Amino acid sequence: MMHRLRYIYQMRLNFEEPVREHHFKLRCFPSSDERQKIFNEHIKIYPVHFSNAEKDSFGNLCIYGTANQMHDHFAVNVDGEAEINSEGKVPAALNKIGMFKYETNLTRAGNSIREFHRSFEPMNYMTGYERAIYMMNELYEEFLYTPGITGILTSAEEAFTLRRGVCQDYAHILLALCRLERIPCRYTAGMIPGEGATHAWTEIFDAGAWRAIDPTHNRECDDTYIKISSGRDAQDCAINQGVFYGGGRQTQEVKVIVHEILPQS
Amino acid sequence: MAIAEELYAYSGGVNELLARYGVKFGIYKNGEFHEQLFPFDIIPRIINHDEFAQLERGLKQRVFALNEFLKDIYSDGKIISDGVIAEEFIYSGTGWLAQCAGVSPPKGIYSHISGIDLVQAKNGTWYILEDNLRIPSGASYPMIARELGRKSLPPEFFEKHHVEDNRNYAELLSRTMNYVNTGGLSVILTPGRFNAAYFEHSYFAELTGAHLVTCEDLVVEDENLYFKDYSGKKEKIGAIYRRISDEYLDPVNFNSQSLIGVPHIFDIYRKGNVAIINSPGNGAADDKGIYYFVPAMIKYYLHEEPILNNAPTYLPYYEDDMKYILANFDNLVLKDVAEAGGYGVIFGNKLSSSEKEKFIAMLKAEPRRFIAQEVIDFQDIEIFEGSSQVPRKADLRAFVLMSDEPVVWKSGLTRFSRNPDSFIVNSSQGGGFKDTWIMTEEK
Repeated sequence: MMHRLRYIYQMRLNFEEPVREHHFKLRCFPSSDERQKIFNEHIKIYPVHFSNAEKDSFGNLCIYGTANQMHDHFAVNVDGEAEINSEGKVPAALNKIGMFKYETNLTRAGNSIREFHRSFEPMNYMTGYERAIYMMNELYEEFLYTPGITGILTSAEEAFTLRRGVCQDYAHILLALCRLERIPCRYTAGMIPGEGATHAWTEIFDAGAWRAIDPTHNRECDDTYIKISSGRDAQDCAINQGVFYGGGRQTQEVKVIVHEILPQS
Repeated sequence: MAIAEELYAYSGGVNELLARYGVKFGIYKNGEFHEQLFPFDIIPRIINHDEFAQLERGLKQRVFALNEFLKDIYSDGKIISDGVIAEEFIYSGTGWLAQCAGVSPPKGIYSHISGIDLVQAKNGTWYILEDNLRIPSGASYPMIARELGRKSLPPEFFEKHHVEDNRNYAELLSRTMNYVNTGGLSVILTPGRFNAAYFEHSYFAELTGAHLVTCEDLVVEDENLYFKDYSGKKEKIGAIYRRISDEYLDPVNFNSQSLIGVPHIFDIYRKGNVAIINSPGNGAADDKGIYYFVPAMIKYYLHEEPILNNAPTYLPYYEDDMKYILANFDNLVLKDVAEAGGYGVIFGNKLSSSEKEKFIAMLKAEPRRFIAQEVIDFQDIEIFEGSSQVPRKADLRAFVLMSDEPVVWKSGLTRFSRNPDSFIVNSSQGGGFKDTWIMTEEK
């Protein structure tokens, strides 16, 4: 039976000094597709002078807008329910996947990733998806989950050289490896059950559709993975891209809560 | 040349006027900005009527195909799936912007203003050297030189010599902006007076009557772009001729570190609510690697033979071409596809044997990064050095403006190298310019 999940995503930016003319573009809203159905979604953004919704070139739901008046914090609350069918295939046309085969700044393989890749067995009888699973296993053995060392701008090559990092780094390194073999693959930001931050994983193109795998946990994504956005790398999935006047230091708090809604008896 | 003799007497006067009008070119060197005069040579490049008619047909054909190419790669990518262009040249280039995938600009026009660089070989054949579809600059220089020439030379001089009037550029530019305007003002966006081409921005604004604006004058609200005047009154903008590059255009959609730009302009462009001239993402078509494929593009989209030739070009990416390059290295010029403005250009015969060895290793490691071309022995053109005439290398930037159809401006920017040994004519490397005269039909 299918799980139904309830999710809450909260993001708050605190500014040391008040800011004005704050332009934002948010990308933190799960939307329905062949794999997941979203119900009862509520979105609150504060403060707002105007806002507008659109889908970006990757199909991610975005809300852009401006907060003109002075404010010392900026907050976004999103909550809703999701039902995920892990067998559901999100189709991708062949002529739309070319861009996912080539490295980006964050997924460029340097010497250390290339050397790691050279240590793999060739195994050219595998499909791209099987090969990605194989490389995910190898990466999982080699890399140590360690928070606090890498940041959002850390590239795959930098993280792999350290052999330590978090979910974003696992995803970027796997993308860099797949792209060395021109396997179409993309970065996915989302949420999994528990309390904490957002999660990140990868999707691999396989037989006309995207299949989600999670290199941080070395497994295929099941029906508890709620997708928020996808793109070539984390930059395409930036939760918030904003500019403003003033502010001094700013701090960001993100809180994600996902739990299962038990069927009523 | 008889005309040269006739013009010589006016050379000093016109140059003095150019300086007084502030016809300058800004150069960044070693982190400093210097404004310098763009040296003008009064001997014009003359292209006769029939020869230009042929160039005109070829340029229209080329720009039309390039526009189709941009439309295609940002939608269905048929030229890739049909195997005409290797996808690597599109998706791994720096010009291709993922943000533009699936976005259609007003009236389907990407390249509103194209600057196509050509050279003429000694045998008279014209070759395309480069397509500039981002923000090609330079039309203002022959415009102002002609205008000031008209002030200095005897009345009727240009008519007497059967020269096509080039004063219609502003009219062509207005037509181009109006054609795609989605309702509202047409404006010219300049990064400000410290830009290399600020003279041009202000000159175009003056001649077209469009507002010259900076980013601070603009704001996006709801679904539209507005111009704010001093009183705070807002007026809707329907077309923006922006003279800042894609990456600085919109900090919430492109480079977030950019201190300039108009937040959200790309979001409303995506919705079709403003025309951006030229369209974001055009860099995918004027990459030096893509240049190689333009003749194939013309055949693919138009089912026509290209009227104008590319300079013979080889892509190290293809094995056969690589073999040719290695065998003929000393006769070729190699260009780094990521560089512009005359930088990253290497003449095979100028390298020492150890430099050559190093370069070839790099070529083999990163074949996608370079193109190789035959060195075209292009025609010299006379310039004045003091009162004597000396031959120098020169190219021609032709301007093609697109509205309901592509129109080739009957003039162009002729740039020359002041150094007798140099093939590099770029103004950023100290070259000078000439007016380009197109002859009217012989009566």
